[in-house]
Amino acid sequence: MNSQNEELIWQVRHFVYLHIAETTRPPSVDETATHFSISTEEASELYKELHNRHALFLDVDKVAIRMANPFSGIPTDFKVHANGKTYFANCAWDMLGIPAALHCDAVIDAVCTESNESVQLEVKDGQIYAQGGVPAAEDGGLSKLLVHFPLPFARWYDDLVFT
Amino acid sequence: MLLFRSEEWVDKWCKRNNLERGEILSVQQVWELSKLWYGNRMSLDYHGRSMEQVAEIFKQAGLASKFWYL
Repeated sequence: MNSQNEELIWQVRHFVYLHIAETTRPPSVDETATHFSISTEEASELYKELHNRHALFLDVDKVAIRMANPFSGIPTDFKVHANGKTYFANCAWDMLGIPAALHCDAVIDAVCTESNESVQLEVKDGQIYAQGGVPAAEDGGLSKLLVHFPLPFARWYDDLVFT
Repeated sequence: MLLFRSEEWVDKWCKRNNLERGEILSVQQVWELSKLWYGNRMSLDYHGRSMEQVAEIFKQAGLASKFWYL
């Protein structure tokens, strides 16, 4: 890839993230093509290159963005309410990744696996709180909430959906 | 990465899916990791990161077990 395309590929990545932040959903290939005044085929190739570099995760058959971590392109059990919008996160880590990426306060609605219990967390001024405004570090209930990483880091990209 | 109410529920899930238990972090730990991992994700200058940068993030987040080896 030449240096001009190298610059464009990262501009496309940036556009994708700004689009999600603004609309809560990833842009289609057509929307990205229109934004950069390039063909749909060129935009598809740039999406695939970002996928190959683990900068996006595509539903390859549709050339649609499934994940732009921490954001999910499809609905999940991890909803993040921030800046007057509702985003979907890919997982329990990414539900915290969204306010971290956007540098904003957020209210998170999530479902615990196996117990199916709904929980709500709040991120405010860079701190995380349980329902009722108790700081996470001081709350017995919240501190028992756990995130399970099933695979070691070396295997995260073997199967990103499972991870 | 899934959210669980307790280690007991993690073990039930692992058993039901015939998987070994991975690494378990508190929500507070994951929040600290998130700020390091995702803090610059919206920037035009973010072009992914090297293994050395990943290792530094894990170190700053206090994740030192073999699970986090690159």
